[in-house]
Amino acid sequence: MKILVGVYPPDNGEWYYKGKKVPFPKNPKEAAKRGISIVYQEKGVIPCLKVYQFLFLGHEDKYIKYSRLDIGQIKKYAREILEEFHVKCNIENFMYELPLSTQKMIEIAKAILNVRLEHEDNNITSVIILDEPTAPLTIEERKELFNDILNMKKNASFVFVSHIIPEVMEFTDKVHVLRDGKMVAHYNLSKDRITEEDFFRAIVGKESLAHIDKPEIKRVKNEEVVLSVEKLTKNGCYYDISFELHRGECIGIFGSAGSGKSEIINTIAGLISFENGTLTIKGQKAKTKEPPHIRLSRGIGYFSGETGKELFLNWPITKNISIVNIKKILRKFIPVINFNAEKKMAEKIVQGLKIKTPGVNTDCYSLSGGSKQKVSVGKWFERSPDILLLEDPTIGIDVGARKDIYENTLEIKKRGISMVLISDDPKEYSILCDEIIFIKHGKIQKVISGEKFKEELEK
Amino acid sequence: MKIPNKKKLIPSIISVIIQTIKIYPVTLFLFALVVLFASLYPGKFLTPLNLSTILRQFVSLMLFALGPSIVVVTGSLDLSYVGIWMLGGILVWVLMPTLGMVSILVIPLLGLATGFIVGVIQAKAKIPSFILTLSVLVIYCGLTGIISGGISRSVRGYEFITRRWIPYIPTAFLWTIPIIIAAVFIMKYTKIGIYLYAIGSNEEGARLAGINVDNYKILAFTISGLFTGIGSVIYFQNQGGSVPVVLNLNTMVWPLVAIVLGGTPLTGGSGGPQKTILGALTFTVLFRGLTLSFIDPTMIQLITGLLLIASIVASSRGSKGVMIT
Repeated sequence: MKILVGVYPPDNGEWYYKGKKVPFPKNPKEAAKRGISIVYQEKGVIPCLKVYQFLFLGHEDKYIKYSRLDIGQIKKYAREILEEFHVKCNIENFMYELPLSTQKMIEIAKAILNVRLEHEDNNITSVIILDEPTAPLTIEERKELFNDILNMKKNASFVFVSHIIPEVMEFTDKVHVLRDGKMVAHYNLSKDRITEEDFFRAIVGKESLAHIDKPEIKRVKNEEVVLSVEKLTKNGCYYDISFELHRGECIGIFGSAGSGKSEIINTIAGLISFENGTLTIKGQKAKTKEPPHIRLSRGIGYFSGETGKELFLNWPITKNISIVNIKKILRKFIPVINFNAEKKMAEKIVQGLKIKTPGVNTDCYSLSGGSKQKVSVGKWFERSPDILLLEDPTIGIDVGARKDIYENTLEIKKRGISMVLISDDPKEYSILCDEIIFIKHGKIQKVISGEKFKEELEK
Repeated sequence: MKIPNKKKLIPSIISVIIQTIKIYPVTLFLFALVVLFASLYPGKFLTPLNLSTILRQFVSLMLFALGPSIVVVTGSLDLSYVGIWMLGGILVWVLMPTLGMVSILVIPLLGLATGFIVGVIQAKAKIPSFILTLSVLVIYCGLTGIISGGISRSVRGYEFITRRWIPYIPTAFLWTIPIIIAAVFIMKYTKIGIYLYAIGSNEEGARLAGINVDNYKILAFTISGLFTGIGSVIYFQNQGGSVPVVLNLNTMVWPLVAIVLGGTPLTGGSGGPQKTILGALTFTVLFRGLTLSFIDPTMIQLITGLLLIASIVASSRGSKGVMIT
């Protein structure tokens, strides 16, 4: 995508424009000259500008009259454009005053306008790349946005990038599935009959992970409930979520992106608040709004899966691990850090997770992606909170590193740590989870056991 | 303990030197300056008198730079130090007739209170600490002017603080040593230190790791205020028991230069008091060297400004490897 609009240069490949071979664009402006424009996932909107100012940002020099900006004409043109695309808003409003879906529509209109102004031709067909346009929106807002985009199809062609399968099914004509940087499947939705499961299989791939044995102690004799969620609701995100997590159990919340699964886990972690229902942690009711450090003191650890968020990159491995385990390395009488204990703890984790590093004092930014992920998840394994929330624990790393992380996860599970998992990889659920909750549009669809899920996946 | 034989001794010394330069690049600069000035002014620079002057100036710089360098580690900035010193000094003069000798304690208390209040406002209202602490500085300067009536007031009775014990070594320097050790100790060997570095390095990560970010930011400002307060007591007497009633820009800017020159980037996350020691020492040596030279004293201000910009650029370059990907 970013190659198409000229942000990065490609290593190889050819580009055809109107049947002729041309070099790749060097910057977004050159791409716009060829009719391509992009709407980024986030941060495309400048909130403090008025709608018409935002629409014409970067093209002001085309509307100069008597050496100053011809605001009248810009406003007139802005009104016409928004009318053409059926965007209902007042152009005098500031961008931040508008709902998110309208903002997104204006961004798309701006992308089309961008191409037109570059060509000074109103009838040119533009190609608009939408990079996960629905990511920041709630379910209702998504529906609105889709209706609007469908109306726009006559004005422009769209490249729609998303990992939300139902959206892709509803919205697109042709689909290319990419996995690990390779194109693995191609469908023409208007001709082929494709189901959501077909997609899933194509995205996930058939080659399976190295076989990992699950611990035999399963659905446990230990019936102690450590976390109980009842009718948890946050409007616009999820509704009436209920489940019980027992000691040593792992529950997976399964759904496509945007189904509300990450909001649920963020709520339990204390990053966002909930509106209705009860959240009971080890027998004590939690407040609707509690920051993560209070939730951690009640026994909930949250691993966010993003190394950028979790790691302190300019720190050595030792410090990155001790940040959540500081109580273990303080001396008994005077609360001073025991550097020997710190080193030993880090060495234990490096060995257990087979982290490839010259030493525990190596700074984290020089490690490989897999090792970074291992360090950031390893600190939580060492901490062993009663309840560990795992969000995409193995995102973006290779199969070998995954296997090491899974083995360690199962190991601490055996020790009686309960877990809640969400992931983009269905195989992860079958390896780690005892029970899987299916969720769609923020509501629970069904609950099945881990074995059954595994069988279905292998079908 | 084994004594390494001669063949291994030299390479090991070299490797230690290389390591030191890597962690504290400013040592190279310091060394170069000392060599330069010693050869330029052979009879003047390396004399006991001059070195003692350097120590005295180093102390006054260090006392102000120490607290704020703890705040800078968290990615914020504390400029209120000069204000605490000035207002504190005047309050001592006001309270002296009623409270007697105890009234000197008002300076550390004022530092503590200021740090705490600034910290609470900064953490809860989420406003840039630069502007906030600058406003505090302006307010305190104003209060100092009002209370003192615009005339510099001096207080007697605390001469024992700076009475000379050892020839050529300023007593203020001896007082500074335990303060510096305390600051370095907090930052390197305690939980508080690790958490403050964490907040400066990656605030979101610190929050996810279960650190109460707001409280630790307040703590950073409070510690900074306390250190400034204690330092101000010494500096107060070092100046003969009085404080100026008009803000001198140099007293405000020089500690900042010392912090950044030492290698603590203003974005936070690394550096700290131990680096500020070197920064303060380097700056003092440079300042002394320039004073001895033919350069006009007013030019020194210009050079200070340029040095500040250069060291900010250098310190942000140095942290390039830690960019969050």
